[in-house]
Amino acid sequence: MAANPMTQFNVYRIGPEIKLGAFDISFTNASLFMIISSLAILIIFNIGSKKNSLLPNKIQLLAELSYTFVSKMISDTAGLKAKPYFAFIFSLFMFVLFCNMFGMIPYTFTVTSHIIVTFVLAAFIFIGVTIVGFAKHGFGYLKLFVPSGVPAVLLPLIVVIEVISYLSRPVSLSVRLFANMMAGHTMMKVFGGFVISLGIVGGWLPLSFSVALTGLEILVAFLQAYVFAILTCIYLNDALNLHH
Amino acid sequence: MSKDPFKTRLEIAKDKISKKNLYNKKDNPSSIGTAFKLSTELVSAVAVGTIIGFIFDKTFGTKPWFILIFFFVGVVAGITNVIRSAKNMQK
Repeated sequence: MAANPMTQFNVYRIGPEIKLGAFDISFTNASLFMIISSLAILIIFNIGSKKNSLLPNKIQLLAELSYTFVSKMISDTAGLKAKPYFAFIFSLFMFVLFCNMFGMIPYTFTVTSHIIVTFVLAAFIFIGVTIVGFAKHGFGYLKLFVPSGVPAVLLPLIVVIEVISYLSRPVSLSVRLFANMMAGHTMMKVFGGFVISLGIVGGWLPLSFSVALTGLEILVAFLQAYVFAILTCIYLNDALNLHH
Repeated sequence: MSKDPFKTRLEIAKDKISKKNLYNKKDNPSSIGTAFKLSTELVSAVAVGTIIGFIFDKTFGTKPWFILIFFFVGVVAGITNVIRSAKNMQK
């Protein structure tokens, strides 16, 4: 048992080292768990949508429930115009959710506890939403940075502030997911370490904390995936329905 | 025989969906989402502002000035972010 609570976040190579130019693209444990969660999603939704019975079995129920959940989320936050983006938001939500949930199984690796993973997802969303905005509104999308009813003297300052707040979106999106997952897993490991060091006499208190934290972490894992998806919807809504 | 009641139920459900989609913002479950938004929104705007100031200082060689200005602009942007999402929550 490693005493350091941060060793669970180590990325190590599995199999041979692969180099592409100056980049190291070897297969790591992070890539393994990304593939595992994507495969799990594919398998569950393939089985769930194979047989459309009126009385659904458990897997079909799971697939249908998640479908309606995401569909309702999109129509509530971004309106009917966002329906074409359903596939993207659904796969995003499912990927983040499964990565978070696989991280809750002991001895697994949490992919979303690394900022580079969440930042790549967020940057992808940010660039995509910006492209959608420019494609729908042309250069009128730049009006997002100029709120109406602002005196001309204040305009340069306001535009700078708006640009910074727009650029801060991917940062806040990625940092939120990464920080929540990493803090939670570190805390669980620390309490687990207390159980070992306090032994059979005093270890019961941190053990009960650990059990409670596991429940909390499962809630956080779901909630962060939900927040990630819903903020994507909100940003998409800003790009689709331009009003200021 | 058994399909008829299902069809009527399907029509009722479709009717309900078409009524619901008239863009009602009242009962959306996104208030948890916006609550989580608030905390990081403030910090990230400050971070982005400071990074922009740092880059400007590096390129123009005006060591402390841009980082100072953009730090405070970032703070203002963070506060506007928080106020905006708080307003969205009240809607």
